[in-house]
Formats: sequence, structure tokens, C-alpha cells
Amino acid sequence: MLLRSIIGSGICMLLASGNLLSQTGENQKQDPILKDFEARVNNYLELRKKEAGSPPRPTNSADKLAQNRSQMAGKVREVRSEAKQGDIFTPEIANYFRHQTSASLSGPNGNKIRASLHHAEPVDGVALKVNEPYPQGMPLQSIPPTLLSTLPRLPKELQYRIVGSNLALHDTASNLIVDFISNAIPTP
Amino acid sequence: MRKYFIFLLLFFFQLIGCQSEGGPSPQEAVAAPVSQASAQTQGNELDVRLPLEQQSVRFAVIGDSGTGDRPQYEVAQQMELYRQKVGFDFVLMLGDNIYGGHRPKDFLNKFERPYKPLLDAGVKFYAVLGNHDDPNDERLYKPFNMNGERYYTFRKGDVSFFALDRTYMDPNQLEWVEQNLKSSKSKWKISYFHHPLYSDGKSHGPDLDLRARLAPLFKQYGVKAVFSGHEHVYERLKPEDNIYYFILGNSAKLMTHDFKSSQQMEKALDTEQGFMLVEISGDRLHYQTISRRGETVDSGKVEQQSRSSVAAAQAQ
Repeated sequence: MLLRSIIGSGICMLLASGNLLSQTGENQKQDPILKDFEARVNNYLELRKKEAGSPPRPTNSADKLAQNRSQMAGKVREVRSEAKQGDIFTPEIANYFRHQTSASLSGPNGNKIRASLHHAEPVDGVALKVNEPYPQGMPLQSIPPTLLSTLPRLPKELQYRIVGSNLALHDTASNLIVDFISNAIPTP
Repeated sequence: MRKYFIFLLLFFFQLIGCQSEGGPSPQEAVAAPVSQASAQTQGNELDVRLPLEQQSVRFAVIGDSGTGDRPQYEVAQQMELYRQKVGFDFVLMLGDNIYGGHRPKDFLNKFERPYKPLLDAGVKFYAVLGNHDDPNDERLYKPFNMNGERYYTFRKGDVSFFALDRTYMDPNQLEWVEQNLKSSKSKWKISYFHHPLYSDGKSHGPDLDLRARLAPLFKQYGVKAVFSGHEHVYERLKPEDNIYYFILGNSAKLMTHDFKSSQQMEKALDTEQGFMLVEISGDRLHYQTISRRGETVDSGKVEQQSRSSVAAAQAQ
């Protein structure tokens, strides 16, 4: 009984550390849910590149930055006008993410992660909509590194963002919400 | 005669400091580069506590600066006064460089105008991202010298700087930090990012999860000083593992009376905005923290243990 309990705790800790499935490339490639997620993310980026071109280069002009973003967002929004919640985060993928966040927050680093989330000025009261911009002027809540390490790695064009209890996929160049998972961050 | 009277009346109000609470319009601030605050300093000799040695690396540090309000402009004016004396040629920006929207006028009013004298003098700004910053537009904004990257490193003399993106410390970045710290042969390694690993501020406190990830790397690879913002105060903490941690999140924003009592605090300021000057020469890093009214609120030095002295200490 004791042995079973120790083994069980060990497995829980490994899952909570998040590196079993999500981070070391081989497992990530083998897991069908993660493969599906990766394919959907890549499809989005290919579509973006095809319609809106490559991301802009550094410039001295703030006007140019605003213009570039507006153009890119306009093209992506147009070509994804039918996009809806769940296109990237399918129910299976969303469940995987919820499992990962839940395991992290209830694991041995849970208190540290929660403290870090609190430290990073939680953002609430933002109604997320797929294919709509992240609100201008609204801060971005930083995600604790331990929590990030349990989620699948993303290409550098995209970032995860916590908004209230939701987890969003944010395209930083266009400032658009690509998709999001409701109630992905369990409350204590 | 009437015009003369109105002029006298305006002059009188200016003299007694009858100014709006909302800070100057950017036009006002630029048109009058020496405000009341800086005039106070100008009347006296500048209090410079850096050795100003030949071929030293000199820079300024600001954090949480991008409000566009009067205190930001006043801190900027002090920086320019000190630049003329100290001759620093770059500035570390610790994040929250542009608060609120990121429209072209925000870049103008919250960066280009307040720091115009510095920019005109060729001073370079090296920014990191805070939680109020736009992760796309700011890294692509050339005057922030991020070269399109969220995190980057650069070298000045024998000092390597590691500019990190704490708002998104993903595994890729952590790997990059370790690789670059490990491969750096610089005598001085300095890291800066927005959220502090140690802090006695009541508003936010330390980022424990980040500390668990970064502090061991800093210790292992010989980082000597770490600058952060986020907490709208100034704080210098007792060294942890021989690493000096500074918080400078008060270069425009200010959270007054924001400290809890602490054993780890060495020096703190939560009643005034300010900036920091740093000079590194040989084995010594000198720092001086200056308020927006030109008063020196902290100064001192950090000594780098040379390899021979470390070896001698270990031998004893």
C-alpha cells in the first residue's frame, strides 16, 4: 500500500513537472493530441504568411509599426473571418492543456506558481474573441516559467496568454487572439 | 500696460509653482527643458559620486518610465544634466517603457520627447519588455535597440549585458540564458528584466517562480548585478550569493509608502521618482541613484572578486 502510494506520488510529481509529454521533442511528436495541436498551429502560421507576408522588420517609425500591424491584422481577420473558438484548441487539445495547468498548480510548485501569477498583475474583465485584437493598452499577464514549461512549445510568432481563468493563443505581430480555452486556469 | 500686467501675473504663478497636477503637456516640457526640479540642481554643483575614470563603462538605468507625465520629464531632465557631466552613452530600460496604448503619439510623448536631449546626444537605449509593453511593436522599434528580439545580449568593454523578457520566460529563453551566460567571457555579467527576483514592495513582492529558475543560473555563471523594475520604488537589497539586486521601478511611476519591513533591504526609496547611474571600471562597479529633484539617494560600489583573490580565499 505504502509502495503504491509512493509510486503514485512520484508519477503525479513527474506529471506536475510537466516535462513528460510537453517539452522533450520526441514525446511531443509521438503524442497524437500534441501532433494535432502542432499541425493546427503551423497551418495558422502558413495561412498568415501566405495572406499577410512575413513579419515586418525593425523601424524607427512608430507610424510604420502601427501601419504594419493594422495591415497584417486586417488580412488575417479577413481570411479567417469564419474562425471560431476550438479551431486550434479542439476539445481534446483543450482537455490536455487543462490537465497540464491543473497538474502544475496542484503539484509541488503550485504555491510558487500561484504567487508568481499574482505577482504579475492578473488581467481580468477582458472578453476574449477569436480573430479579434487583444485590447490596446491592456497589460499582458506574465506566465510563470514553470507553468510555461509544461505547455507545448510554440513558434516565436505566437505566445500563450492568461486572461482571467482563460488561456489564449496570441499572435503578437497582428495582436489577434488566434484561439482560447475557457477556464484553463483552475481557481484555488 | 495691460499686457505687462498679465505677463507679471503669469510669471508670479509660475514662480509659486501653481501648476496643474496632471503633468506638463509634452510641448510644455520640451519647450522648457529646465523645470523647477532641474533648476534646483543647476543652481548648485551637480553631486557626482562616480570616479569618472578613463575608459570606464558608464550608463544610466530607468524603469517603469513610460507614462508621459511630468515626473517622467523631470527625471529625464535630470538625466540630461548628469549626462553632460558624467558622459554616459547608453541607458538600460527595465520595462513598462510605454504605458497605455501604443499609438505613434504614445511613442512620441512617452519616449521620444522626454528623452530628446539624450537621443540627440547619441545616447542609446536598450529596452526590455514589461507587462505594460507591446511585445511586438517595442521589439521592432529601432530606438529601443532590441533588433526585433524579445531577449538579447550586448557587450560594452568588459561588461556583458543580458536583457531578458520576463513577461514570457519560456523554455527556449531559459536555454538561451544558460547558453549565453555560460559562453560569455566578460569580466562583468549584468542581467536586467522587468519583474524582480527579490523585493520588499508590498504591491507585488518577489517573483518566486522566476527566482527558482534564474537565480541558480546567475550564481553558476557569475552574474554580479541584476536590475529590475515592476515595483514602483527604488530598492537595493543585501547581496544574495554575492549577486547585487537593484529595483528601479520609479522612473515615472511611484508607489508611495510601499515597503514592508525586511532584513534583506539595504537602501530604499518610495517617496520620489529617480534613476540610476552606473560606472564600471576594472574590478569595481560604482552606482549612484538620483531623485527627480537631483538629490543623491544612494551610492556605493560593488567589487568584483578577481580569480586570484577567489583562489586565495578558497586556499585559506
